[in-house]
Amino acid sequence: MQKLTIKKGYRFRMAGAPADDLIVLPAPARVAVLPERVPHIKPRLLVKKGDQVQIGSPLFEDKRNPRFKFLSPGGGTIHDISFGPRRVIQAIVIDRKETPEPETRFQAVTENQLAQIERQELVDRILDGGMWWAFRELPFRDLPAPDGEPPFILISLNAKEPFQPSPAVYLKDQEQLLAYGLKALNVLAPGKVRVFADASESSVIEKAGQWLTHVVSGNYPCDDPATVLYRIKSDASQNRAWFVAGQDLLALAHLLREGRYPIRRVVAVAGSAAPDRRHCHIRLGAPLSQMVEDARLHGGERFVVGGLFRGYSSDSDGYVGFYETAVNVVPEGGEPEFLALFNPGVSRPSYSRTFLSRLNPKALVYNCNMHGDLRACIACMHCADVCPVDLLPQMIYKSILAEEVEEYLELGLLDCVECGLCSYVCPSKIELSRTFIATKAAYAKEQAVKPD
Amino acid sequence: MKAIRQFFENQRRHFEGNGPLAPLEPFYEAMERVFFGTGQVTGQAPHARDSLTVQRYMMLVIVMLLPCLFFGMYNVGLQSFKAAGHPLDFWPMMVFGAKIVLPLVIISYLFGFGWEIVFSAIRKHPISEGVFVTAMLFPLTLPPTTPWWQAALGISFGVVLGKEVFGGTGRNFLNPALTGRAFLYFAYPIQMSGDAVWTAVYNHGAQAVDAVTAATPLALATTAPASQTVEQTLAAAGYDFSTLFLGFYPDSIGASSALLCLIGAVVLMIIGVASYRIILGDIIGVLALGYVLNLFAGEGSAPYLGMNPFYHLIIGGTAFGIAFMTTDPVSAPDTHAARWIYGFFIGALTVLIRVFNPAFPEGIMLAILFMNVFAPLLDHLVIRLRIRKRIPNI
Repeated sequence: MQKLTIKKGYRFRMAGAPADDLIVLPAPARVAVLPERVPHIKPRLLVKKGDQVQIGSPLFEDKRNPRFKFLSPGGGTIHDISFGPRRVIQAIVIDRKETPEPETRFQAVTENQLAQIERQELVDRILDGGMWWAFRELPFRDLPAPDGEPPFILISLNAKEPFQPSPAVYLKDQEQLLAYGLKALNVLAPGKVRVFADASESSVIEKAGQWLTHVVSGNYPCDDPATVLYRIKSDASQNRAWFVAGQDLLALAHLLREGRYPIRRVVAVAGSAAPDRRHCHIRLGAPLSQMVEDARLHGGERFVVGGLFRGYSSDSDGYVGFYETAVNVVPEGGEPEFLALFNPGVSRPSYSRTFLSRLNPKALVYNCNMHGDLRACIACMHCADVCPVDLLPQMIYKSILAEEVEEYLELGLLDCVECGLCSYVCPSKIELSRTFIATKAAYAKEQAVKPD
Repeated sequence: MKAIRQFFENQRRHFEGNGPLAPLEPFYEAMERVFFGTGQVTGQAPHARDSLTVQRYMMLVIVMLLPCLFFGMYNVGLQSFKAAGHPLDFWPMMVFGAKIVLPLVIISYLFGFGWEIVFSAIRKHPISEGVFVTAMLFPLTLPPTTPWWQAALGISFGVVLGKEVFGGTGRNFLNPALTGRAFLYFAYPIQMSGDAVWTAVYNHGAQAVDAVTAATPLALATTAPASQTVEQTLAAAGYDFSTLFLGFYPDSIGASSALLCLIGAVVLMIIGVASYRIILGDIIGVLALGYVLNLFAGEGSAPYLGMNPFYHLIIGGTAFGIAFMTTDPVSAPDTHAARWIYGFFIGALTVLIRVFNPAFPEGIMLAILFMNVFAPLLDHLVIRLRIRKRIPNI
C-alpha cells in the first residue's frame, strides 16, 4: 500500500454533512433513466411510450457502438420519454409494475468460473448485461472501447466532493462483493487494478486494506481517478486509463455474480437546506421527491444531483442519473447583498484570505450566488494554486479563446480533472472549468471521427 | 438600505435599453456594485462560487493605500510649515496638506474614472475596478508641487495609453499608474525628476523655502561629496535613518513613509492580495545588489557605491513601489517562479539605475516598467520548463 499526498485542491468547511445512518427507501412508483446525463454518448431509443419492459430490458443504445446498452432499472410500462432542446433525450420514465416486477436474468459467473474465464468472454457478459457504463476512460470520461486492454483500472472508493456517500456506509456488508468485483477487473486488466481510499477513512482502510494499492491524503479532489493518475503515471501511454467508481464496481460485481441487473444505490442526501441529511438506499433512477420531502422545504432551494462541483441542478420532480450518488439541497441565493464589498465576512466562504471566515472554525453555508460578475482575468493565480494537477488554468483558458489547439494541449488541458475548483475560486467569475469540459468534449468528438 | 435599493431601481430605466443615459450603463453598474453585490446565481456546475470578487480585491488595495494618503497629507503640511517656519500644529498642517493633496486625488479620480467610462461605454464592457486603484496610486507618486493640469494629463496618459489602448484591465502589460508617472517624469523633468525642491509652498512663498530643505534624499545621495559617506551627507541634511523610515521628509505624497508601505505590504501579503514572491524578490534584489556595490566601493569611488543597502529601501519611492506597484498582478508575470525573478530584477535594477545613472535619481519606476515589459518573456520561459516536466497528454 502506497501513500500519496496531494497538496493542492481545497478543503471545504461546508455545512450540511449527511448523517451516517442508512435508510432503506421503498421502491418508488416510477423510475427513470436519463440519457442526457451520460456524457459523450449518442443514444438511440429501443423502446417507445407504452412499451412493456422488464428490469434489465434494453432502453437505448449508443449509436457509436450499439454494444453499449443501457438497461431498465424497473419493470413495467414506459410512461413517458421526454425530449429537451434539439431532441436531446432527457428522461425515459418507467411506471413500475407492482409485484412481481418482471426481470430479465443474465448468466451468473461463480467465483470459480471467474478464475478461468477468458477476458473476451467477461467483456461480452458485461456488455450484454448493460453494465459497460461502469467503465469510463480518461481523459474524456467516455465509455472505453471494449477491445483494448487499459494501462490501469482505477477505483476510487470515496469521493471527497461534498457530500458524497461515505464508503463506510455503502461498503458495509459488501466486502465480499467488492473482492469479487476486483477479481473480475483483474481479468480485464491483470495486475493493473489500482484501488485507493482516502486516508481519513480509517474504517474502510481497515476493512478493504488488503485490496488497497494507494492511500490518498489531501483535499478535494485528491481522490479523483484523474488526480491519482496524474500522480502515478510514468509514461504518456498510461493516459488512457479506465476508472470505475466504488458503487459502480459493486453494481458490476452484482451483475456478474448474481446474473441480475443491479438496481441498488446508496445516495447521500445532504446540503444545508436539506430537511433530512442522511444516506438513502434507493432504486437506480429513483425520483428526487422520494428522498427530499417537498413539504418541508422553504422555497428557494436548489437541488443539485451529483455534488455541488460537478453535478447538475434539477427540479424536485427530477430523477437521479446513472452516475450520480448524491443529492445536495442548497439555498439558491440570488438576493443582492447590501454593501457586500465591505462585509468583513465572518461566515462568507472563500478560498482567499480576504474574509474573516478564515478564522471561523464553523462549517459555512454555501449558496448558489455568483458573488460578483464577469470581469477580466487579473492574474491572481488562485486557479493555478488550487489546481490538483498543476495546470495553469488561466493560460489554458486564454489559449482556448485564441484557438491555439496545440498550445492548450501542451499546457495539459487533457489532464484536467473537471473538479470545478478553478471556476469556484475565480474572483473574476470566469467559467474556466465549463470551458475546459466543453473544449475537451469537442476535442474528443474530433478524435472520434475515423478517417475513411 | 431599502431606500438606496429603491433609488437604484428607479434610476435603472435611464441607463437601460433606450434610456437617455444608455451609453453610461457601465457607470450605473459600477455604482450599483459598490452598494449591492450581484443577485446573479450560477447556471451550471460548479454551483457554488467563492465570495471573493475583483471589486473586493481592488478595494483591499485601496484600503491599504489610505494610511499612505493620510500620512501624505500630514507630511506635505509638515514640510511646508517647516520650510515656512510656521508653528507645527497638527490640524493646520493636516488641513494645508489636504488642500494640496485632495485636489490631486480628485483630479486623478475624475480623469481616470472618466476615461474608463468612455472606453467602457464604447466597448460596452463593464467598468473594471482596477481604475480605482490606479487613480489612487497615481497621485500618491506625485510631488506635492505638481500642477493640477499635469496630474490630469498624467492620469489620462496612464489610463488611456498604459491600459485602454491594449484592451483594458487584464490586457495591459504596463502598470497604468506608473506609465502616467513616467510620462510626467519625461515630459516635465524640471518639476518631476526629484532634484528640485519638493515642498509645497505655504502662504505662496511668503518665506523662502530653501531656508530649511534643499533637495530630496535621492538627489543628495547622488551628489554626496567624496569626503563623506552618503549616510553622513543625508544625516547632515536632517535625513537620518529613522526620519527616512518613518517618512518625515519631502518626497512624493504617498511614498515617503517606508513604515506605512511595509505595513501595507505585510497586510496585503497576509491576505494574499499581493504576491509575497514579488515583494521578497524585490527586497532581496535591492539588498543583494546594494551589497555587491558595497564591494566595489573604496578610496576615490563615488560614495553612493558604499551606501548601506537598507537605505535604498527607505529613500525615495522604493518601499511604495515594492508594496503597491510591483505587486500589480496584471502587469507582473503570472507564474510563481517568474515572480521571484521579476521581483529580484526590479530590486537589482532599481539600485543600478540609482547609483550609475545620475540623470534618474529614482530608479524603481523605470525598473518596474522595464520588467513589466519582460514579464511575458519570463512567463514564457517558466511555462516552457513546466511543459517539459509534464508527461504529455495529447
